[in-house]
Amino acid sequence: MIRSDSPRKVRGALEYGVDLDAPGALHAVLIRSPVAHGRLRTLDLERVRSSPGVVAAIGAAELAELLPSRRGDPSRPAFPSEELRYRGEPVAAVAARTLGEARAAALRARIEVDPLPIVAQIEDVFPEWPGSGEGESEHVNAHVLARQGDTERVFARADRVVRGKYRTAGIVQMPLEPHACLARVEEESWRVQSSTQSPFGVREDTSAILGLPEEQVVVEASWVGGGFGGKGAALLEPYALLLAAASHRPVKLQLSYAEEFELSRSTLPSTIWIESAMSGDAILGRRVRLLLDTGASLPGRDFATGYAIGFIAGPYRIGAVELEGYAVKTNKPPFGPHRAPFAPQCVFAGESHTDEIAREAGWDPLEFRERTAWRVGDETPLGQKVGPFGLEEGIARARAIRERWRKELPQGTGIGLAVGFWSTGTGAGGEVLVRLGPTELVIETVEAEIGSGSVIRGLVAVAEEISGLPREAIRIERTDTARGPYDSGVYGSRTLGALGHAVRVAVTKLLEELGRRLPGRGEVRLELLDGKCVASRGEARTGVESLFTDTERATSGMLARGRHYGRGGEILAERVITGGFFGYTDFTAAVHLAAVAVDAETGQVRVVRYAAIADAGHVVDAPTYRAQVEGGVAMGLGEALTEETLWSAEAELMNPGLLDYRVPTLLEIPPIEVEVIEGFPGAGPGGTKGGGEPPIIPVPAAVANAVADASGARVRELPLTPERVARALKLL
Amino acid sequence: MALLAPTRAEEAIAELLDGPEGRVAVLAGGTDLLLDLEEGKGAPEVLLSLHRLPWRELRWGREHLEVGATLPLAELERDPELARRIPGLLEAVGAVGGFALRNQATLGGNLVRASPVSDLIPILLALECEVGILGSTGERTIPLEKFLLGPRRTVLARGELVRRVVIPTLPSAFRWQRVRPANDVSQISVAVARTPDGEHWRIATAGVAPLARRARTAEALLRGRSPPEELMVSAAAGAAEEAGVRADKRATDTYRRQLLRTLVLRAIRAVPVGPTGDAG
Repeated sequence: MIRSDSPRKVRGALEYGVDLDAPGALHAVLIRSPVAHGRLRTLDLERVRSSPGVVAAIGAAELAELLPSRRGDPSRPAFPSEELRYRGEPVAAVAARTLGEARAAALRARIEVDPLPIVAQIEDVFPEWPGSGEGESEHVNAHVLARQGDTERVFARADRVVRGKYRTAGIVQMPLEPHACLARVEEESWRVQSSTQSPFGVREDTSAILGLPEEQVVVEASWVGGGFGGKGAALLEPYALLLAAASHRPVKLQLSYAEEFELSRSTLPSTIWIESAMSGDAILGRRVRLLLDTGASLPGRDFATGYAIGFIAGPYRIGAVELEGYAVKTNKPPFGPHRAPFAPQCVFAGESHTDEIAREAGWDPLEFRERTAWRVGDETPLGQKVGPFGLEEGIARARAIRERWRKELPQGTGIGLAVGFWSTGTGAGGEVLVRLGPTELVIETVEAEIGSGSVIRGLVAVAEEISGLPREAIRIERTDTARGPYDSGVYGSRTLGALGHAVRVAVTKLLEELGRRLPGRGEVRLELLDGKCVASRGEARTGVESLFTDTERATSGMLARGRHYGRGGEILAERVITGGFFGYTDFTAAVHLAAVAVDAETGQVRVVRYAAIADAGHVVDAPTYRAQVEGGVAMGLGEALTEETLWSAEAELMNPGLLDYRVPTLLEIPPIEVEVIEGFPGAGPGGTKGGGEPPIIPVPAAVANAVADASGARVRELPLTPERVARALKLL
Repeated sequence: MALLAPTRAEEAIAELLDGPEGRVAVLAGGTDLLLDLEEGKGAPEVLLSLHRLPWRELRWGREHLEVGATLPLAELERDPELARRIPGLLEAVGAVGGFALRNQATLGGNLVRASPVSDLIPILLALECEVGILGSTGERTIPLEKFLLGPRRTVLARGELVRRVVIPTLPSAFRWQRVRPANDVSQISVAVARTPDGEHWRIATAGVAPLARRARTAEALLRGRSPPEELMVSAAAGAAEEAGVRADKRATDTYRRQLLRTLVLRAIRAVPVGPTGDAG
């Protein structure tokens, strides 16, 4: 058995957020804005309240009564009282005995809105690149600009300049399990169980929104049926808690799939321009311009532009680089993180462009990258030194795979290469409590297993490696934010890097303590003998229970706390002219090859083979790591080929459902070859690097480059639907 | 909402005639109906499921295949004769939804729902199949083309059910195009059938106009079991023109025309040259 949760998942025995229930629980529905932009004139909930089964209905007007001591963040009200900023924005909520009653009642709200002008898309305000100095525009949430070297000089002396304009689509995370939570308010305790990637993140957000002290809000994660970044912040919890306070009953709130599309903060469209100044076969300089639709995100809450833009220039030796981007405010729902936030889109632009340079000059795109790739110790545009990095080796392995494919695959098959890089997130840090009992080692954490295996398998594997105990003797125990040790969340590929470190620290402390209690010298190891935890040193073996103090015996074991507060890499301040950029913690390479067949008359792309070479640093559990790579590729193929949110001129989402938002099925997933590179250590325990996000990053670019190789058609817009490919083939 | 599953046809028809119009929704697989109910379109008091009626025949005649209205598509797909005797129908059935959906969906349900994006209607139009309609006074049979009145509209009167579909065994082919190959709505689907002697060709297209339709001008260009290449190309181009393409969120009109030219030509070429069916 690979994972201890698998049998229960197969049997349907695990309690996910959608399964949460309590005796007497009410069902809640959000009442949402009918327009993308407007001023709320009237919100009348009387007819909602008089509907059958309704116990509570609340909007902005009820907040003061429910939260008399409110001193929350005024920029983040639970419900808007004036300006409505996007279609579907929650303006009120209703709780009723049944979901059907709540839905019927919600339809009876009277909402009157004075319309305001709608900015539906980037082009409405910036039809072209606006130039520098738009930072103060009312349409801009954030402006970033950084410069390495003298780009003007190198562009002036280039023998040619290669230019490209790329567009990417909005996409949603689409976990199988939508957002769901169950709230209870009893006296001073505001308690919520939730399908979340970050109980402490939800606590922080919820207390800010409701204006409650953090200790008064208690969050407990349920099992999570997929998050992909969409479940890292509070979304439903404040509404459910408010309804629970108003009704004095437990309240269940869960999104429908259609609501999930509109409310789960995700990726919105972008336009990216890249120019490369070439001299012979060297890139002298590169200018990157990014306009990123960040929807109705609140000012100052942009994280995307300054993080993403560094990926567009690529992991290449380029003399001078200028990076500039705007986070554009529109009346779409707010932007949010989505597995490797915005990196697949950036790398699609950057790696398509790099491929174009090579192909136009008649060079082998692989060889060109091989020559130009960062080496360890190189300096990045933001002034960081490249640490241990598996890029060169990854490209060398890609070459071997390409040679083999060229022999195996039929004529006409196109092969595309793309490389991406990533950095393991740190978050604010994390802690675990580890308890060694007579028969088991228990890791106590607030974090849920979200499907990747990073908690249920990754943390256990680290404990196995350090302690010597087999996996059946190690258990994860989930706790809540009132009792549990702090951690910032299961996101950013950080779980193993941060919590794994914390486990390593805690288990090491336990072994040291056992060492003090055991005679002899040398390393202490644990093993399981006849169902008991046994400590050994050299030839000597002792059941751990006999080493416990009286207190430990009474409290079922020895306790140790492990903590890890990692830091992001420093960046050279003088390179940053304006805006918040992010430094990378470590450098993780992902080198991918896609092989495609293109139908020359319809534009249909079929991916026939795929290879992902992963710069793992160190692998603690091979099947779990491999599954993350395969899953990343599968998800990336959706971004490459079919997934796209469609928006009307009034910023209405036109395809909020799985019928016209096309997630790949197993039938579209080709055989995936996974190669793992170890030996370029990252910041995690034993040198691990984050594994969840890197494998999605190069996928759209690899597919686009393969399509160009197969057919000559260069598609500069995601996703590569048959119609877009047909257009690039000049069939239309 | 009550679920009724009668075992006798008379009971089903009596239920349909009982109470006001719209009280009963007929469930024959439900792969389309349930989407509507989920979206709150219609609020029937009774769901009348046909799954217990003995209507799952699959009978091969000399020149026809008779399919009971509630036979799941997956069972039709598994029939060992289908590939040889009506190849286009096998291709079309295999293109409907995914495996799980085909275990549930039925031919009768598909026709009665008369969806503009049905993948089955074009091949059944090209094969010129007939629909057996059962009412309180007995069964009548009409050509499919007359059965369909428009998108979501058929000639079925109150108290009537589709009992069976009678499908001529003809050399035929079906082609489709989708953004995502599996389990998606076709941007275009195309069916072509030919009489065994090659005297008549029939072309039907879907995803273009409000409902699938025949391309009769293009059909008339084709003669013989293996028409000359230039006539096939002209017929495909003609079919693209007469189909009445339109743009929607799934494809532009320009792209649909390109798809029609391509897929009609491919389907014509894919029709087996040798006679199939009992003639061979």
